[in-house]
Amino acid sequence: MKNYIIKRCLIAIPLLMCISFFCFVFINLIPSDPAEVALRVRQTPIITEEAISQIRVELGLNDPFLIRYARWLGDCLRFDFGVSYVNPARTVLGEIGRCLPATIQLAGFSLIFVIILSLPIGFFCAIYKDSLFDRIVRSVVFMTTAMPAYWIGLLLMWLISIKLDLLPTSGNGTIKHLILPAFTISLTYISTYIRLIRNNILDNMKEDYVLYEKARGLKERTILINHVLKNSLHTCIVAIGMSIPQLIAGTIVVENVFAWPGVGKLCIAAIFNRDYPIIQAYVLMIGTLFVVFNLIFDIIQYITDPRLRRDVN
Amino acid sequence: MIKQLMKNKMAILSFGIIALISILGIFAPVFAPNDPYESNIIKKFAAFSYEYPLGTDHLGRCILSRMIYGIRPTLFLSLLTMLGTIGLGAIMGLLAGYFRGIVDEIIMRIVDVMLSFPSQIMILAVVALLGVDIRNVIIANIFIKWAWYARMIRTSVLKYRDKNFILFSRSIGSSESFILIKHMLPCIGSEMAILATLDIGWAILNISTLSFLGLGVQAPVSEWGAMLNEAKNVMTTNPYQMLVPGIAVVILVASFNLLGDCIRDALDPKEAN
Repeated sequence: MKNYIIKRCLIAIPLLMCISFFCFVFINLIPSDPAEVALRVRQTPIITEEAISQIRVELGLNDPFLIRYARWLGDCLRFDFGVSYVNPARTVLGEIGRCLPATIQLAGFSLIFVIILSLPIGFFCAIYKDSLFDRIVRSVVFMTTAMPAYWIGLLLMWLISIKLDLLPTSGNGTIKHLILPAFTISLTYISTYIRLIRNNILDNMKEDYVLYEKARGLKERTILINHVLKNSLHTCIVAIGMSIPQLIAGTIVVENVFAWPGVGKLCIAAIFNRDYPIIQAYVLMIGTLFVVFNLIFDIIQYITDPRLRRDVN
Repeated sequence: MIKQLMKNKMAILSFGIIALISILGIFAPVFAPNDPYESNIIKKFAAFSYEYPLGTDHLGRCILSRMIYGIRPTLFLSLLTMLGTIGLGAIMGLLAGYFRGIVDEIIMRIVDVMLSFPSQIMILAVVALLGVDIRNVIIANIFIKWAWYARMIRTSVLKYRDKNFILFSRSIGSSESFILIKHMLPCIGSEMAILATLDIGWAILNISTLSFLGLGVQAPVSEWGAMLNEAKNVMTTNPYQMLVPGIAVVILVASFNLLGDCIRDALDPKEAN
């Protein structure tokens, strides 16, 4: 088992390197000259050719590409992502740190919605397969896959905040502000996981061990809850865990609809302002989260599922 | 396959809807009652009337005309995206699957890396790098999605690679490019078509989302996502303005998803059960 974990971690390292390399190439491809930007950041009044060549030496911009990459990577590992182009008084780390709690709050709340809604609904759909309930849920799931998330957000905002005046339309602060955006984000994932859980339980119900338990005369309810559900939960928890970074990345659209002050809104604003260091740090952060969460849940799945362990060995 | 599709009512219905919307889009000037760009501030937020069947927006432009003209960017840009994605994916997949060896290794390692990146974020990064414009959105979408198709197409190329007719063609001295174009491409053509239909819905949603955020189609061009963005600002006073484009997106995407499912079922009845 130890070998597997070590091997899995070693595979993650080149992937992280690829992501960081991509981010570095990204900032090197932008049309503006970094030396000029650095001068502007220091608020040099007149930018001359001399000053530019001086700062190029100072910042080491004349060094070979790979050396600059290594130096940049070292800075990133110390969480030094530079300063914002638009507002040089602010560091990129500070900006992201300011917005990240709101996004994590939102993503966490959506995750709770996903778990408490998709697990029971998927379970009941599988047990009462082809019943009225199952058919209604399936058509709702089909419709939500065709709906753009931002439109659902707008509709909910209109219906619940404006017509019924139950919840605030935008901003953050209280738990009331959280409900609508979190529900909007979770809706897409809920429909995916209802389908996943339903199919998983149906597959499990066809397995030999269920037949054996029926032959043993166990109660239907005991078989379903103690055995089938337990076996299917497993895959579902891992799938949901792996989608956590997607939840965080997926907040972009909804944050902009509900004016939620998170990193997604920061990133969109940065794209419009051409504030490249912030975009770079954002891409690096989400990319790293993807790799790390995949790694963690791969290992969790391996540890908790004895069948998988046997296969690998 | 087409015979089987004709038996399926769902397939005919969804194909009909798509065909109808495409015709409306192609002949937009004929069907649109008004000029979609002509603003008339005095008549802003007009109610449904004979002149403006769906009313007017905040600049007094006819919503129905804007909807009909909006089909062009929404539908045709997503078709273009899919063509580009499939094209690039097919070339890479063919090369990797057919020549194997070092070409295969290089292409597939690139594909692996591309697939491990979160796609939404990558699209944003590419758009940020190239600048806010619809052309860049399409380039970003193609850049992100081709890897997925390259992998699928490579798998099906491997299936045909050692079939007798290919071996025969090679043994009588056909050139490699002749084999690829004349034998390989027709074999995997149908699979590529299915993959494309399944994903047009995805492309439509993606382009309209980016336009909604203001990163895609720019004003005053009418696009359904951009129209929803405009409707957002007048939500309290004119809520119905956001219903029409939203419902249109849902109908179009749902039709493509349904059609894709039906084609897949028709091709592979085993999967359907």
